[in-house]
Amino acid sequence: MARTEPFQIRIADLRERYRPQREWAEGRGLLLILAHFFTGAGAGAWLFAVPLGSDTGLVAGFFLAVLGAVGHLFFLGRPERFWRMATRMGSSWISRGLVGLSLFLVTAFLYLALLFLAAHTTTLGSILLALSMLGALWTIIYKGFVWASSKGIPLWNTPLVPALYIAYALRGGAAVLILLAGLGIQLGAWEPLEPIKLWLAVSTAVLVLIYLEVMRGSGMTALRSVNLLLFGKVALPFYLGAVLLGLIVPIGIGSFAYLDHIPAGLLALVGLLSLLGDLSIIYCIARAGLYRPLPT
Amino acid sequence: MVIDLKKCIGCTGCALVCKAENATPPGILWLRVVKHETGKYPQVRRVSVPLQCMHCAEPPCMEVCPTGATFQHPNGIVDIDAELCVGCRYCMMACPYDQRFFLSAERTYFPGHTTPFEQAGYQRHQAGVVSKCNFCTPRLQRGLEPACVANCMSRARTFGDLDDSNSEVSKLIRDRAGYQLHPELGTNPSIYYLPP
Amino acid sequence: MQTENAQEDLWIPTTCGLCYSVCALKVHRVNGTVIKIEGNPESATNRGRLCPRGVSGIMLLYDPNRVNVPLKRTNPNKGLDVDPGWKEITWEEAIDTVAERLRKIRREDPRKLLMTGTVTTQDEVPFSRFFTMAFGTPNGWNSGAGNHCGTAEHLYGALLHASWAKQPDSDHCRYLLNFGSGVGSGSYYTVTGMAQRIAEARLRGMKHVAVDPFLSPSAEKADEWIPIRPGTDAAFALAMLNVLLHELNVYDAEYLKHHTNGPYLIGADGSYLRDETEKVPLIWDPVDAAAKPFHSPEIKDFALDGVYAVDGQRARPAFAVLKEHLAPFTAEWAEPITTIPAATIRRVAKEFAEEARIGSTVVIDGKALPYRPVAVMYFKGAQGHKNALLNCMALELLTEIVGASNVPGGLLGMNSCSVGEPETGQPAWIPKADRDGLMITGYWPSFPPPYPPKEVRATETIDLRGLIPTCPGSSGALPVVMADPKRFAVPYQIEMNLHLGSNYLMTFADPEAVARAFQNVFQVSFALFLDESTYLSDIVLPAASYLERLSHTADWMSSNAAVGEWCYHVRQPVVDPIAQRRSVCEVLLELVERLEMREEFYAFINLLLKLKEPHMLDPTRCYSWSEIVDRRYKSVFGEARGLEWFKKHGVLKWPKQAEEVYWKPSSSARVPIYFEWFKTLGEKVKAQADEIGIELDTSAFQPLPEWRPCRAHEENSPGYDFYAIYYKLPMQTFSGTYDNPWLDEVCQTNPFAYGVAINASAARQRGIEEGDWIEITSVATGHTVRGQAALTEGIHPEVIAIAGCGGHWSKYLPIANQDGKGLCFEWLIPVGLDNVDIPSLTQDTCVKVKVVKATDRGSKRSSRSSRLNDLNHLNDLNPG
Ligand code: SF4
Ligand code: SF4
Ligand code: SF4
Repeated sequence: MARTEPFQIRIADLRERYRPQREWAEGRGLLLILAHFFTGAGAGAWLFAVPLGSDTGLVAGFFLAVLGAVGHLFFLGRPERFWRMATRMGSSWISRGLVGLSLFLVTAFLYLALLFLAAHTTTLGSILLALSMLGALWTIIYKGFVWASSKGIPLWNTPLVPALYIAYALRGGAAVLILLAGLGIQLGAWEPLEPIKLWLAVSTAVLVLIYLEVMRGSGMTALRSVNLLLFGKVALPFYLGAVLLGLIVPIGIGSFAYLDHIPAGLLALVGLLSLLGDLSIIYCIARAGLYRPLPT
Repeated sequence: MVIDLKKCIGCTGCALVCKAENATPPGILWLRVVKHETGKYPQVRRVSVPLQCMHCAEPPCMEVCPTGATFQHPNGIVDIDAELCVGCRYCMMACPYDQRFFLSAERTYFPGHTTPFEQAGYQRHQAGVVSKCNFCTPRLQRGLEPACVANCMSRARTFGDLDDSNSEVSKLIRDRAGYQLHPELGTNPSIYYLPP
Repeated sequence: MQTENAQEDLWIPTTCGLCYSVCALKVHRVNGTVIKIEGNPESATNRGRLCPRGVSGIMLLYDPNRVNVPLKRTNPNKGLDVDPGWKEITWEEAIDTVAERLRKIRREDPRKLLMTGTVTTQDEVPFSRFFTMAFGTPNGWNSGAGNHCGTAEHLYGALLHASWAKQPDSDHCRYLLNFGSGVGSGSYYTVTGMAQRIAEARLRGMKHVAVDPFLSPSAEKADEWIPIRPGTDAAFALAMLNVLLHELNVYDAEYLKHHTNGPYLIGADGSYLRDETEKVPLIWDPVDAAAKPFHSPEIKDFALDGVYAVDGQRARPAFAVLKEHLAPFTAEWAEPITTIPAATIRRVAKEFAEEARIGSTVVIDGKALPYRPVAVMYFKGAQGHKNALLNCMALELLTEIVGASNVPGGLLGMNSCSVGEPETGQPAWIPKADRDGLMITGYWPSFPPPYPPKEVRATETIDLRGLIPTCPGSSGALPVVMADPKRFAVPYQIEMNLHLGSNYLMTFADPEAVARAFQNVFQVSFALFLDESTYLSDIVLPAASYLERLSHTADWMSSNAAVGEWCYHVRQPVVDPIAQRRSVCEVLLELVERLEMREEFYAFINLLLKLKEPHMLDPTRCYSWSEIVDRRYKSVFGEARGLEWFKKHGVLKWPKQAEEVYWKPSSSARVPIYFEWFKTLGEKVKAQADEIGIELDTSAFQPLPEWRPCRAHEENSPGYDFYAIYYKLPMQTFSGTYDNPWLDEVCQTNPFAYGVAINASAARQRGIEEGDWIEITSVATGHTVRGQAALTEGIHPEVIAIAGCGGHWSKYLPIANQDGKGLCFEWLIPVGLDNVDIPSLTQDTCVKVKVVKATDRGSKRSSRSSRLNDLNHLNDLNPG
């Protein structure tokens, strides 16, 4: 087929009644998905690593967030102008997010530097830590609002999406730490994570269900989108990635952990699968985004 | 602007005169015409509906734009300052009318060849940013109507001031029950359609 | 804008050349580059508006795939898919080769030269016709229009409306019954002007009833869509006539008496009764109870009904004969043929009869004129059938019976009558009557007009138009005769084709069969693109496009709407021809000199361009192209308005007078409602055909209308259960615009432009879903084309509809030749006299096809390739 270029596909899309959004999921749009995933998981890891006192967790969280930020940057059509994105705090969630993410990255970096110099227990250290946690929280929260404020895509245009994204970011963060633990990297007290993780997995599963159910009833376009997820071209990554790898297997193994001790390798697997699941769900929801039919 | 669907024949002339006027690169369709079919054989209706930026009075695209590249002229026209746009494409997700286009890379209509027309015209378009219809603002500044209005071969388009209740457009909307697309979204589009 | 530091910033008036509407343009040129093409608001033709093609001309001008240098073929094998192996040559060499060939042919038998052209170039083709006339060949083929041509419809244009084409009176019409024509919807004549006028008429409340198998771009705009089985429009019309005359008793007696041959007395043999002395047709005066010559000043009234004894012969007025003839064609008779309920036919007939307002008048320009605000339109769709002549007759009679022909509100000839520009009284033409009182056109784009009937001269032409002189347009017989001239007693074979940019392989019928006819001909192409037909060329010359050339006249009789103003334009180059492109007319002038045929050629120009002293061409000197153009303008519009004036002003216009537009009430020329001479002509044709020994079914040469099934209607092969039809798009002209990337882009956003429209339920029954690739196999040619299904409720369940003329395969058209760029309908229809309406030589486009879901995606050509390989293989075996 000759029409393989993204812009050619977009032209062909225009004759459809329900047109998929592609810019935030395909081609370079994949960078954006990865960016959301990494910044979310990174910020989540940071948030969990602090109370657990896991320095490795902090480092991992920070670098994941950096990776995500780089993804964000290179997704832009004009990366060199990225700073302009901070100028519309009043109305744009991307502006707000950029500020939150920057706050997180800068303070986290400085805190890690202090940590490296073993000067992190100073007042400055505490302030930086507090700020970085604020930044991380901010980062986790804003993402969902970016999607949810997209009026063009009914599937996303609901308050459930921020809740879902927060749940996923937290779960991702926990998964990062579990993965690290599973890989035998010394953490602080990682055990408390397991029940949290399980709780998060179950509640995310419930949230996904609620979300899909609500969206099924939110007009033709959202219903179409849900159908894409459940039965359409996005069904494979959804069932395989988001549901099986991301929810069922980790929940299964997690429950198993109550009964018995889990070998480290399996633990790493749980972490990894959860992460893959998180990535899948972000990807699936992005891919299933459809514009409303026009003219009516 | 008012588009009379009873007059419009769906010729796509407006889509292409837009292209000629604004020298939009391949895949950038500031204006398109879709077909909308209702009913069952043999009681069927198929209507051609030209679509372009609705110049919403409450533009969601502008609200989400993180750089301020998307802005509203005092006359209500929603425009993009390409110099400010970073190409985050947030506005594309926010526009309920799917009217924004991202130029991922410079390209020409004949692969590997730039026509003199494109050489002259593409200076107006940079890669990596989002663009859309601006009601031919440069033409308006020269006292001309938007190209799609001036060229429409069934004279289906009328351009004017919606705020002036005596303007031709306001009258048409009143007399012929003009309507907006997806009014439920609260965007208050500046394009009204007259029923077919 | 980039015009800020411009040294040059110009708007140049000229005309569009992308379809036969010839819209007026203003081209914006900045520093030598065309940056915009706009409609010229000064012109009445398009009133400042352009269609999508018109605005996209820039992409044609600068398309890198255009032919830029003369080329010669190096591969001696010819075939549909055989690469000619182009080699660049100089113009010098090209002209030498062409001139030498022409000289040889002219010496031997000039009729061996054929010219193939198309209607979209209203300048080069007519001019080339002068060349071929002077050269001495009668052979020309309007091949670009080919199967898209109105053929038989144009014949009735001449016989009933004194014009090539016709339109509803957009100012006054209230009821438009449209059998599938594209009027007002982006195709058909004066596209841009009519789009505006018909849109106005819609708002005004004109009811538009579309009878069309497909909810086409035109039917979409109708108030009512009546789906009909393809090729049965005449049955619908006959049933309507039956309802009008036998149930409602509605007809315009005054009109029929004074403006038609309705009162002419017809004898038992079907011919006119004529008076002894003058030999003119007789009528019956019921007041004096006597037969009188039709033009006798003593006539008190005309009988339309009754049976009379004249000199012992039983005679009836033509109208009575027609009425009786229509008796069997009831609405119930038509229902199973057309699939339209009898009640619908009756209702439409009743609406039509009422809206015709027979007897009413309207005052225009201070004159009371008959007001008949109904019109019946049709074009290629309804007429392109095996029974074209009689189909069209039925459709035309609807307008005639209610007297809605060339009166306010009715159906108007597109410029049947011109009294000329106020200052010079030129150009002028007025329909006139022959001895029988029947109308002869005042103007006809080719020479001579179809009526009075030409002599039947069997061996004259290669397209049977000598034998059958009633074909005014594109002859469907040409490829048949060309493939075997001896069979038709044509004593020569076409040796050379002067090919003017018509892509005849894709616009006529079965490309393989057409290619066979042209394979052994030395073909010289003036081409914009190396399209499919140039695969058969020996020399290709780079032609200047309409934006790069000057023309003697860009206008013709049907480039102005019937109403409104007269408007004449100029076509001038807006940029110098790019690369080595040259204007066809200039090259022809050079050939005239090379062939030393200046004297004959100038004589034809003087005659046919109606040049007047002192502007006539003097054969003792040689004129440049622009001098000739200048003389043409001056001869028509006076000394002051020569080429320079037109180049500067672009447009000359003046208002039309009511008696030009609504000329019928004041014309003494009658039109036939009983086509008496068809019968006699048919007898002559039959006699000649018998003499030659060809089997020709001439039974359709008859004076009264009839519906006869196409071959497709009688086709019952299992599995072939769809009719395939084709229709025009507002964004493409025939096959010639498909490489334009802008037009391509908008076609891609339209599901029907490149797809195959198929009834949604019928498709799903066969497991076909939206966007599926389907294979369409013709029962008649065996060829298969492939395309993507576009499911719609808006199509008759027995029908699939293919838009435009896509499906290109030339490797030199990189945009058009890709997968999924439409289908070439012509693969489905066969070449052959069985498939041609004999009296009008119209190609039948009715065909039954099998539609199945393709098992793989893509390529419209994959299923052809094996066949093509066979063909190429054959070529290899017998080169030449
Ligand atoms: S140019 Fe006019 S008639 Fe054609 S599609 Fe656009 S609005 Fe409709
Ligand atoms: S139509 Fe879309 S791009 Fe135009 S103003 Fe409204 S939201 Fe913005
Ligand atoms: S209608 Fe024909 S002549 Fe007019 S702009 Fe379109 S292509 Fe050109």
